[in-house]
Amino acid sequence: MKSYGAMAGRYLKQQRRKSILTIVGILLSVALISALGTMGQALKDNVILNAKYNDGSFYFGYTESSPDLYAKLEKHILVDQLGIYRKGGEIPLQDDYSITIDKTDKDGFRLLPIHLQDGRMPTAKDEIVVEQWILDRLPGTPKLNGVAELKDTDGTTRSYRIVGVLNNQQTSQTNGSSKAYAFSDSSDIALDSGTQLLLTLKPGVDINQQIESFKKLNPSFFTNDDLLIFMGESGDSRLNSTLMIIFSTLVGLVVLSTVAVIYNAFHIAVLERIRQFGLLRTIGASPGQIRSIVFREATVLSAIGVPLGLLVGWFGLWFTLSIMTQNGMKIMTMDSFELTFHWWIMGGSFIIGFAAVYLAAWLPARKASSVSPVEAVKGAGSIVRESFRHVRTPSLLSLMGIEGRMASNNIRRNRAKFRITTFSIVISVTLFVVFHYFTQQSLTMTTTTNENDRLAFQLLSNSSIEEDGSSPQLSDVVSDNVMRQLGELPGVYRVYGNYQKLNYQVLVPDEKLNKDYVQKTGNSFERINDRNTVYSDMYLYDTARLKEAAKYLQSGTVDPMKLAEGDGVILVQTVKPMTVDDKRELMPITRYKVGDKLTVMGEYSASPTARQLREVTVAGILKQSPFESPYQENTLVVIATKPTFAKLVTADSQSVYTKAYGTARLGLDIAIEDGANSGPIKQELEQIARTIPGSRLVDIAAEQKETRNYNLQMKIFVYSFLSIIGVIGSLNIINTVQTNLLLRRKEIGLLQAVGMTMGQIRRMASAEGVWFGVIGSFWGILLGLGLSYFLYKRLNYVRGFPFDFPWEASLIACGIAMLVGLLSVQTPLRRMAKANLLEELREEA
Amino acid sequence: MNVISVDGLSKSYGKGGTRVDALKDVSFSIKQGEFVAVVGASGSGKSTLLHMLGGLDRPTNGYVHIDGEDLYGLKEKERAVFRRRKIGFIFQSYNLIPVLNVEENIQLPLLLDHRQPDKVFVNDLIHTLGLQDRRKHLPSELSGGQQQRVAIGRALAYRPAIVLADEPTGNLDTRNGQEVIELLKLAVRQYHQTVVVITHDMNVAAEADRVLTLQDGLLISDSSSVGRSL
Repeated sequence: MKSYGAMAGRYLKQQRRKSILTIVGILLSVALISALGTMGQALKDNVILNAKYNDGSFYFGYTESSPDLYAKLEKHILVDQLGIYRKGGEIPLQDDYSITIDKTDKDGFRLLPIHLQDGRMPTAKDEIVVEQWILDRLPGTPKLNGVAELKDTDGTTRSYRIVGVLNNQQTSQTNGSSKAYAFSDSSDIALDSGTQLLLTLKPGVDINQQIESFKKLNPSFFTNDDLLIFMGESGDSRLNSTLMIIFSTLVGLVVLSTVAVIYNAFHIAVLERIRQFGLLRTIGASPGQIRSIVFREATVLSAIGVPLGLLVGWFGLWFTLSIMTQNGMKIMTMDSFELTFHWWIMGGSFIIGFAAVYLAAWLPARKASSVSPVEAVKGAGSIVRESFRHVRTPSLLSLMGIEGRMASNNIRRNRAKFRITTFSIVISVTLFVVFHYFTQQSLTMTTTTNENDRLAFQLLSNSSIEEDGSSPQLSDVVSDNVMRQLGELPGVYRVYGNYQKLNYQVLVPDEKLNKDYVQKTGNSFERINDRNTVYSDMYLYDTARLKEAAKYLQSGTVDPMKLAEGDGVILVQTVKPMTVDDKRELMPITRYKVGDKLTVMGEYSASPTARQLREVTVAGILKQSPFESPYQENTLVVIATKPTFAKLVTADSQSVYTKAYGTARLGLDIAIEDGANSGPIKQELEQIARTIPGSRLVDIAAEQKETRNYNLQMKIFVYSFLSIIGVIGSLNIINTVQTNLLLRRKEIGLLQAVGMTMGQIRRMASAEGVWFGVIGSFWGILLGLGLSYFLYKRLNYVRGFPFDFPWEASLIACGIAMLVGLLSVQTPLRRMAKANLLEELREEA
Repeated sequence: MNVISVDGLSKSYGKGGTRVDALKDVSFSIKQGEFVAVVGASGSGKSTLLHMLGGLDRPTNGYVHIDGEDLYGLKEKERAVFRRRKIGFIFQSYNLIPVLNVEENIQLPLLLDHRQPDKVFVNDLIHTLGLQDRRKHLPSELSGGQQQRVAIGRALAYRPAIVLADEPTGNLDTRNGQEVIELLKLAVRQYHQTVVVITHDMNVAAEADRVLTLQDGLLISDSSSVGRSL
């Protein structure tokens, strides 16, 4: 041995098992931090990709251009890509269909959300890309690489080569008007108020800082909001700082819990040798020398643990994701997902890992160096001298008899140790509650889903109704039989009927109106019969739709039988209006409860008579709409079954449409299973469509797949995130509770010596473990709630919604904390049961 | 020449009603090469006195000079270095570092001072202590007597000004206890070392050149060996 510092290595070697445990602790913490970082980054990349997919990849643009503006932008040193886009006129085709040919240039094709299904983007002026569904309706029904002769809006006939086929869009199919894009450039497109300019800046340019100067160039300036927000480059600095605060809070929590894990590992290592450090002091080691021994240990442990942690984190994540994508979870087809390597994450995790180890070693090192040599000499055999304190209030544990009373005393007897142990559990529970809250919120923010996401096809019929009211009431366009047959096709999830929607008004008494809504939105309602007239969308749901509605049930029932009794309806009263401070906020518009009566006015009248009014009963309340848009802005959604809907229809005798459509099935919505082959289903539907005159098949299978995929990916991220957090937390609790017990090995030996059975000791230790879980959960949930509320307040700026108490997270965290507390005492107890009693008693620190 | 000089040394613990005066105005001096035993009943202040002589604790009043240096005029770090170089400790429970072998335990005070041990001296010491066959053994592989011999070796390794021993034979049987006392006496003779031993054992006290008796924190007698005076 050349220097006293070599003692650090000797200690580590001698206590090999403990050193390995500490290294594993460091390794896991670093692995988890780097995995979290990588996943967080992947999440961000995913959200950005999605924003680009939906809205295009340009940063900002001008709705009106001019040659001067174009010239300025083209020469601008910071501009990377500059696209020109001009909307085309509608070109009518046969059977009421049409096509609009928009023009854009090379950069425009890159910057706009144009999604190729097949082929390539146009590069010459006679080339065009069109939506797939319109191919059959174009003159000469051309295929890919075929030629279509189209009469332009100026009357000239031009022939276009179809070089690419685009994904079908729902809106264009519903409207019967396909989108098409042709290639053009600045020499050809008029740079006037009908032309848009879109641009990105060169890499590395601070987008946020440049927004103002680009805004000054032309008043028609606009930004690609979602993309910039997700890139953290929104022009709204408050929003950026909000996101920064949220991000830092989350990272801070993870780092804090890592420090706690490592701190505990070091703390036990130091506490067990505290007397030896004292002895070193008596033979003349200075406090600095003792600290240096502890820091040397920390260095050795982190030099092994941190790099290994980075490797394990990266490969662990890679392995997990590849298993997920290759095996059972093939349906999720995460083919667009790639794990990207980021130096900043690895470097950051490396630094955090080392910093956490040193931070964790600092307190124990200080403790070791400040050990009084006198105490070390005096306290022969005992590990630490504890300051006991009396507990005045009896604990619930006392009910468990002597073991419980001892457990209760053990927990409270040493304030410092009690604080360390509960702190670790508190931080774990807090971490879980906050992450659960945050991830759930971001999930609802980024993926507002309902059953609409599953719809792959729609069959629409187009019946002509005579304005004079002479049209007879329509019958179902598709029979129940066909519905059933379709539902049995492989890959079909469910088939829903489509019915007319009634735009009625509900007369809401003052006490049932949400005062908060009125105050926050500043909206006022027309008063009829001393009541408020609230606009309402009334839907007819068949049994298939009601089955889906059950998933969103808040209170009451969606059972068609029960709904039929006493004209029961289902309400969606949660709306998402714009508040006076220009913010979208979720809130109920009315405060109806199950059993309340609802007065509906069919035909508008300032003084309605019984003929125009219907009374129905609220039988169920849903959190959000199962179909259509999840939340309306200011409209109450009322869902009825056929008999009730039929009564509602008669409340409007004026509208010829309401009367003619009645309760007839006007079309179909078809939801398919994830990963199902949509081809055969489409063929079947096309056949049915041919038998219904004036019908139109809307194919949104590709779009649906994309949305479902994105939502599933987000869910995978969120739940992996939470699992990792759960693992960090559990590890921390295990470490702490075990430390607490292992430090008292000698004392437990003593208890055995005076006649306590191993069973009694196990009960005592288990009670301690669980009780620590209870106390830790209590404070953890409280703190987690506080932090969640803090995050909520920040997030609320981005999007308004009510604060939900995180019940689910709290219950899970509390359950896990108690279970882990209970389980983690079992291993050390088993080891103690096997150990020699005399050895334990004789053992010196 | 006085190696240790203690002047008006007092130490109290606690305050008010719970105040305990462990040492009350104790003064004495010890010459180089003396073998002194401190005796007294339990709670008489022996250990407190030893801690004060070793610079492990701070006195309430008074001075301790070791080798001419005012021990409590030194700062904490300086006192640690002083302890390392000038004072050797021997404890009842040996207090060896379990991860270091015999040779390394003996050399530890030198290593703490970033100094390379004098090989010849250490060898001589190991031979004198009869540990030549146990050089590479860990403390857990030694008997109690052997462990105490290692502790003596560690105390002598730096050739300190004084060696302080707290009940060095307390955990040993008569034969091993006698051996340890012989070794301490040998240190006085061979290395001209000053040794202060705290003990209950009147047989150990009988071997000393001088005996200090403490009672309730007061130095009640300072005489030449009990054995010799009889």
